[in-house]
Amino acid sequence: MKLALYLHMHQPWRLARFRYLDLGSGKPYFDIPRNLDIFRGIAERCYRPTLDRLIELLDRYPDFRFSLSLTGTFLEQAEMAAPDVLDRVRTAVKSERVALVAETYYHSLAFLLPPPELEEEVRLHLRKLREVFGVLPKVMRMTELVYSDAIAHFAGQLGFQGVLAEGWEGALGNRSPNYLYESRTRGVRVLLRNYRLSDDIAFRFSNRGWNEYPLTAEKYAHWLSQTPGDVVGLFMDFETFGEHQPASTGILDFLSALPPEIAKAPHFHWATVEEAVQGPVAGGVSVEEPMSWADERRDLGAWLGNDMQRSAFEAARKAGSLVRLGKDDAVWTDWRRLLTSDHFYYMYVEGQESDADVHRYFSSYTSPYDAYANYMNALNDLRRRAVRDLSPPT
Amino acid sequence: MVGWEFPPFHTGGLGVHSQEISREIARLGHTVVFLTPFALPYDGAPGVTFRSPDDDTPVPPGYPSTYRIEEGARTGFLTVIERYNHWVGQLRLAGVNVVHVHDWFGTEGARDLAHRLNVPLVMTIHSTELDRSLGHPYTAIYDREKLGFEAATRIIAVSRHLADQVAQVYRADRRKIRVVYNAVRPPDEGPIVRREGGVVLFLGRLTAMKGPDTFLRAAARIAPQFPDVRFAIAGEGPEYAHLVRLSVQLGIGDRVLFFGKISDEERSAILRDAAVFVLPSVVEPFGIVALEAMAAGVPTIVSKTSGVAEVIRSTFQVDFWDVDEFASRMAELLEYAPLREEMSEHAQREATQEGWPDRARQTVEVYREAIREYREGR
Repeated sequence: MKLALYLHMHQPWRLARFRYLDLGSGKPYFDIPRNLDIFRGIAERCYRPTLDRLIELLDRYPDFRFSLSLTGTFLEQAEMAAPDVLDRVRTAVKSERVALVAETYYHSLAFLLPPPELEEEVRLHLRKLREVFGVLPKVMRMTELVYSDAIAHFAGQLGFQGVLAEGWEGALGNRSPNYLYESRTRGVRVLLRNYRLSDDIAFRFSNRGWNEYPLTAEKYAHWLSQTPGDVVGLFMDFETFGEHQPASTGILDFLSALPPEIAKAPHFHWATVEEAVQGPVAGGVSVEEPMSWADERRDLGAWLGNDMQRSAFEAARKAGSLVRLGKDDAVWTDWRRLLTSDHFYYMYVEGQESDADVHRYFSSYTSPYDAYANYMNALNDLRRRAVRDLSPPT
Repeated sequence: MVGWEFPPFHTGGLGVHSQEISREIARLGHTVVFLTPFALPYDGAPGVTFRSPDDDTPVPPGYPSTYRIEEGARTGFLTVIERYNHWVGQLRLAGVNVVHVHDWFGTEGARDLAHRLNVPLVMTIHSTELDRSLGHPYTAIYDREKLGFEAATRIIAVSRHLADQVAQVYRADRRKIRVVYNAVRPPDEGPIVRREGGVVLFLGRLTAMKGPDTFLRAAARIAPQFPDVRFAIAGEGPEYAHLVRLSVQLGIGDRVLFFGKISDEERSAILRDAAVFVLPSVVEPFGIVALEAMAAGVPTIVSKTSGVAEVIRSTFQVDFWDVDEFASRMAELLEYAPLREEMSEHAQREATQEGWPDRARQTVEVYREAIREYREGR
């Protein structure tokens, strides 16, 4: 059985407070120093120590493999705040046992925008990965692991061999996520996340109220050995290790202890997502409505669930038409940074209390109302700039 | 209960709280005897009886202006206080389990009464003289507050912010302070759909402490961009003339409505009709009026330091000195309909989640604690 460990690295460009009274003032939307401060903090607690562990595991266990995705906005911030983090990723990539995964440069919901935005963003990301790491990914994921037939079709058109998706019953019925599937059109391979086994690490590892607490590598390897199937997708945020779960919980030691435990079972092999999408296919999978890896419902509700979120996204879409007419690169970049899904996530209000806690944890605002008002102000200012760009001064 | 004002003869949160808490405590099966200096036709409730001094206490000039002692009224006012306390202190009552005093007015008499009846004293603080005077307290009042804090077995503060002040500034024993927030009765009607444009509302006493000048300055910042919007000030107080002048100086004289003193009926109508409610208080121990606005479905901007900000998340919270931020928040609520609607819906739910019955239960729980401790202490 193949084990596909895939870790996602992303940081958004968070907005500064942009007041209604700041409209037209020329004040920048993004608080660059604050974003870089946040990045440096996470680099210290998570990116550096975890990458060091992973490189050590690559050195020590020839069978160990994993996959990474790094968004364009993450790479921009890393270059500015902590370039040594990228050096570590380069070291890992050089082992040729680490695959990189393509996605939208801006971690956006561009699949909901009129073409060619989605394709342009994915191509921007591919170009950036080639520049920074000299690598061309063969597998794609969409922001927040969103998957649909249309997205798989798009991936096929761009020549990707596989797409990552949530192994959710809503899409699989009673079939197991632990096999390789095929998209409805174009035969793109669909590699699924086993959300139970992934979330045992990502969400439950340090939960003292969990009846399996504490989770050891031995116990976890035993669970894996009890799991039937061809391939297990362990997909999670990179920040699981050292940030969401601080080092003091023992999460890094758990990571280090996992490969030696896995090595004890001869039928287990680590695989990159590129290796994992090779092999026999168990059947087809069809998903009409976009399915994500977030919240209890796995839909787009986390980003577009309430009227504020929908109206903000709609406003961004409309502003996009103006931005595309113009020639100002700075306006275009600001607009795309505003497309990053995190901005909409911060505006989330409803939902189950457990989800609301997760949203609060990730939010850089005190309330969803702050997030929405601030976003709309910035976007309206951007519209003005775009229009000014169109009509030359007389 | 040793009180002061009681609806319909009230000016602020103290009166509302006295009425609601008495009514709900009586509904829980307890008997409430409400003491007040004035024999007036109050809006009572089953299980609540009123007592006041038998002699015809002169109503002080400007009554019921309890929150500020106007010049010239001092002597008469303090005479009322002294007589009231003397009367409370010697009152003959049977079957009393706890004496509960509200604010400073009757602390001296309440202390004597509790002592004579051999029962614990509980004191609720609604606002402090230090806050009302913006740091220049009138000694006669300040001393009566201190006296109450020291004599009480338990102190109830209507917000955490106020509890901190009582502990830090008045040096009251933190272990005996509890927080019981104010509440609001759910409105009879559901939220109404508001038309575009509309009114941005300030409602409260026109004193420096309530920050009405901040409201006007913020209004002036956005008035040109919102030509259909009017800014309304409801309430009366010593700052009135200054505020009228200020609105003219700011160039928005024609955009500001001064409603003056309003009746309860007008109050709820005005609240329900507002597009945005603003509570820009420099000092606000709680701010029931903001809770009322939210319960009526009006999106609300409050000072960060207000007590109500501790209970409600679905608001904009602003530093009381930040005129531009108040202005921006007003504009954002006026400009973005989805924001208004989401905030309105969630604030309404939050504001009515816990009501006066919950506050009464919490208060009775404090009584029980006080009684237990009082017995053990002897």
